[in-house]
Amino acid sequence: MLDLITEQAQKKLWEKFNSSLTSEVAEEFLQTLLTLMQIVFVVNHEYRRNLKNFTGRYQFCSKNGEVTIAAVFHNNRMDVMEKKINRPDITITFRDGKTLLNFIISPRQDILGSMLRHDVETEGNLNYLYKFGFMAKQLQLMMPQPPK
Amino acid sequence: MITLDDIRLKDFTLENLPRLKELRRLSFARKPEICIERARYVTRYLRDKDDPGDAPEVRQARKVNYFLQHKRPVFHDRNLLAGSTTSKALGAPLFPEFFALTLWPELDTVSTRAKNPQKLTADEARELNLEIFPFWMDKNVLEMTRARIGNAESLKLFESLVFFIAAKAGCISHAVPTYAPMLEHGLTGLISMASEREAAALAHASDEGNRQADFYRAVQISLEGIIKYAEHLAEEAAMLASVADDPRVRQEFLDMAGICRRVPAGPATTFREAVNAIWICQVGIHAENINMAMSPGRLDQLLYPYYRRDVEEGRLDTGGAIELIGCLWLKIADNVTMVPEASEEMFGGAGTVPAITLGGVDADGEDAVNDLTYIMLRVTELLRIRDPNVNARYDYEKNSKEYCRRVAEVILNTKAVPAFFNDRANITALQGQGESIEHARDYAVIGCVELASSGRDYPASSSIMLNLAAPLEMALFQGKRPITGEEQIGPVTPDPATLPSFEQFWEVFKSQLDWLIEKAIELNEEMGRVHQQMMPSPLLSAFFEGPMDKGRDLIQGGSLYNSSGATHIAFADVVDSLNAIEQTVFIDKKLSFTELLQMVKADFAGPAGEKMRLYLKNRAPKYGTENPIARKNARNLVRHLFDLYQAHINYRGGPYRPAYWTMTNHAGLGRITGALPHGRKSGELFASGITPVSGAAPELTACLNAVADLGGECVPGCWALNIKYSPEADVEKMAERFAQTIEAYFRAGGQQVQFNIMTYQMLQDARKHPEKYPELMVRVSGYSAYFKDLNELMKDELITRTMYDLTNGRAVPYPAEKGGK
Repeated sequence: MLDLITEQAQKKLWEKFNSSLTSEVAEEFLQTLLTLMQIVFVVNHEYRRNLKNFTGRYQFCSKNGEVTIAAVFHNNRMDVMEKKINRPDITITFRDGKTLLNFIISPRQDILGSMLRHDVETEGNLNYLYKFGFMAKQLQLMMPQPPK
Repeated sequence: MITLDDIRLKDFTLENLPRLKELRRLSFARKPEICIERARYVTRYLRDKDDPGDAPEVRQARKVNYFLQHKRPVFHDRNLLAGSTTSKALGAPLFPEFFALTLWPELDTVSTRAKNPQKLTADEARELNLEIFPFWMDKNVLEMTRARIGNAESLKLFESLVFFIAAKAGCISHAVPTYAPMLEHGLTGLISMASEREAAALAHASDEGNRQADFYRAVQISLEGIIKYAEHLAEEAAMLASVADDPRVRQEFLDMAGICRRVPAGPATTFREAVNAIWICQVGIHAENINMAMSPGRLDQLLYPYYRRDVEEGRLDTGGAIELIGCLWLKIADNVTMVPEASEEMFGGAGTVPAITLGGVDADGEDAVNDLTYIMLRVTELLRIRDPNVNARYDYEKNSKEYCRRVAEVILNTKAVPAFFNDRANITALQGQGESIEHARDYAVIGCVELASSGRDYPASSSIMLNLAAPLEMALFQGKRPITGEEQIGPVTPDPATLPSFEQFWEVFKSQLDWLIEKAIELNEEMGRVHQQMMPSPLLSAFFEGPMDKGRDLIQGGSLYNSSGATHIAFADVVDSLNAIEQTVFIDKKLSFTELLQMVKADFAGPAGEKMRLYLKNRAPKYGTENPIARKNARNLVRHLFDLYQAHINYRGGPYRPAYWTMTNHAGLGRITGALPHGRKSGELFASGITPVSGAAPELTACLNAVADLGGECVPGCWALNIKYSPEADVEKMAERFAQTIEAYFRAGGQQVQFNIMTYQMLQDARKHPEKYPELMVRVSGYSAYFKDLNELMKDELITRTMYDLTNGRAVPYPAEKGGK
C-alpha cells in the first residue's frame, strides 16, 4: 500500500491542501482534508496512532445543502462517504468553506467567533470535534514547507 | 486589638524583605505551564482501579487519594511554605472532568500561540492525545449531561453561548472552606471523627445509615491523601536539606520537613505551622476541585490566635509574619487556569480568583480588625500581584476610620486592590437568605464578589451567567434575536409597536426574561445532578460545617446553607434601554416604537439614525443618575430578578441568589450583540458588573447613590461596581477623600466597590507600549488582572470606563486617542 502512494501523489495532495486553505469552496477544502487524513494515516506511523481504538462518526453539512460528507472512524481505519449517516457523534453545519476552515484549522482560528456568529453550528459531543481539530492541525503542521 | 506601632508598617519594604523581593520577581518572570499530573493520575485510577459499584463519594475519594499519593512533591524556590498546586512553578492543572479536552486542537501549538501561551512539552502533549483525552471522550460533565437530557433546548441555548453560560460544565468550586477544625484537631482528628461517625451510621443498618457511612468513609480516604502528600513533602524537603551546601538553605528545608511531618496531620501549634497547614489543605482541595475561586476566606481572623501566641511567646516578630504571609500570597498565586485559545476572548487574562477577606466585624458584631489585618494589607501593597484577590470588609460603625483610610491608601498605592465590602449591607443581605446573624457576620468573599458565611455556605455562586441583553432583544423582536436570525428562540410575544404603554412592554420583557431564566435553571439542575453522581466533594466537605453532622456530601446538600448563584451581564445597558423606551417612545413620543425598532435593526445607520442615536445616548434617562425613571427601572429589574430566582429551590435544597458581576463576559457578549435602544451601536461593549454605562453618569455622588439605591437585600450574591479615579499627587489627601466617599456610599446601602486609580491616557499608553507596564494590575469586574494579558476588547472597556476626579466629584471627559489604537 505504501508503495502505491507515491511521493509524487502525496506531494500533489499536500499542494492541494495548501491551496485549499485559501479557497472559498467548502467541498474542496473538506474533501482534501479528509483525503489527506486517510493517506497520512496509511503512510505515517505516528499519525496513525490517532486511529488506534478510536470510534467516531462525523457528519459535515453545508448550510445550503450542497455538501454532505461523513467521516467514520472505526476498526483502526477511517472511511469517508458523501452521504448522511445514522447516529453521528457530532454534526458540524457550516455556512461556507471559509467559515469551516476558520473554525477547524486556520492559523487565525476563531472558534468562538464562528460559533457566536453562527457561521458554524454543532450538534453532539464537542470532544469529537476537538479530536478532529487536533488531527487536522497536525496535518497542517506536517505540511511540507516550500524551499526558501 | 491593635498592637502595631505603625499600621502602615512602612519600615517593611521589599528591600529589607529580600526573600519576598526575589519570589515576587520570579512570579512575574515565570511563564505558565500546563501540568498534566492530575489528569494523568485520575485517568489511570478510573481506567485501571475504579469500582463502579462503590458509592459516588467513595469513588471520588479514592480517585483523589490516588492522585495525592502520586503527586510529586516539588520545591521550586526558597518560599518558606511546602506544597504546590501543580508540578510546575506556575502551573495550569488539567481537569478532564470539565473542559480540559478543549485543549485538544492546540496540543501542538498552545506553547507558541500569540496570546497568553501556556507551555506544554511534546511528551506531555502526546500523552494527553493518546492516553488521557480519549478516555474522557464521553465522560466529562457536559457530555454526561447530554447523555442524561439529550440535546435539550436548554443545552442548545447554552451551547450557542449568546444567552447564558451554565458554568457547572466547567466547575463548581467557588467556596470558602473553614480551616479552623483542621488547625485545632489536625486531619487525623477529623479522620477519627469521621471514623466514629461511620461506625455509628453503620449501626443503624438502614439505607440512609449506609449512605452516611459511605460519605464518612470517603472523607477519611480523601483526607488520608492529603496526609500522604504532606509526608512526601517532608521526605523531599529532608532529601533537599541533605544535599544543600548553604547552611541557611539546609535549615529551611529541615524546618519544612519538620513542619510537614507535624501538620496538617496533627494540630498546628505555631503561626508558621498554621499557615503551612492551610496551604497544604488548599492544595489538597485542588486535587478534588478545579482551581477556580476556591477562596481561603478570613485569614486575618483564622490565623490571629496563632500569630498572637507566637508574638507573645517571642517566637515571631512582625517582619517574620510579613514574610510568611508574603510566602502564602505567592503560593496562592502559583497556579492559573488552562484557557484554550478559543476562550481567550471571553476569559483571557483572568487569574484563579482565590479571595481573601480582611477586617469587618466578628460574630458579636464588634470590630474584628487586628494586627494581621494590617500585615496582610501591607503584604498586598508590597507584592501587587493578581492573586490572591484581596478584599476589605468595612463596618462604618464599628471599624475605625484609620482602618478605612489605610485600605484606601493601599488601593491608591497598588492602583487596584483591595476591593471594599460594606458589612452592614452584606450581613443584612445574608440574613435575608436565612443565615443567622452570627453566621452572616462571618461572611467572606468568594472569587470575584460573592458572599458566603465562612465554611457554612456552599453557594455554587457561579452557576449561571445570564446575558440580560438576550431577553431584551427577544422582547423587541418577538422572541428572536438578530444574531440567531429567523430562529424562534423565546415565546412569541406581541410586536412592541402594538403596545399602548411602557408597562406592557415591561411585561413582555419579563416574559422573555423569565422564560430564559427557567431554561438556565433547568440546565443547572440537570448538571447539578450529574455532579452528584460524578463529582461529589468529600474532601472539601471535611472543611465545612454541616456535612460531618448530616453525613452528607456538600453536593447532596450537606452544608448548613445551600444556594446557587446566578450573575447577570449587561445590567446597565438593559436598564438604559428600558429608560430610553419609556421616556422617548411612550412619554415624549419623540419617535414611534416602529421607528425605534427600525433604527435599532439598522444599527442607527444614516444621518437620521445617527441623530436619533445621539439623542438617545445623550438625552434619555441614564442609570447612574438621579433620574427617577432610571432609578425605578433599575430597582424594578433587580427586584424582579430577586423574586424570580428566590422562588426556585435547587437540587441541594437551597434558593437561587442573583448577583451582578461579569468577569470579562461583558466585553465578549457586547461584541456580538446588536444595537440597543439606548443609543448603543452594534458590537459596543456592555458596561461591567453593576457599573453604569461608560459616560452615562457624570456625577460621582449621584452614580454611587443610584447604585446603592438598588438595595443589597435583593442582591444576595453581591455586585461588582467599578469606579475609576484619576490619581492625585497628594496620596494622603486623596485617601482621606476616598475614605469619605466610601463611607457615604456604604451608608447609602452600597454593597461593594472596586477601583482603578489610573487615567485614560495611562491606559491608552499601556495598550500602545505594554513593555512599559509589565506589572500594571487592573480591576476587571470582581477580579484583578495584568493589563497586558487582557484581550483587546477588555482593554477597550477598561480604557473607556468613566474616570472621576475626586477633587470635584465629576467625570473627566474621555479624550480621543491620538493615532488610533
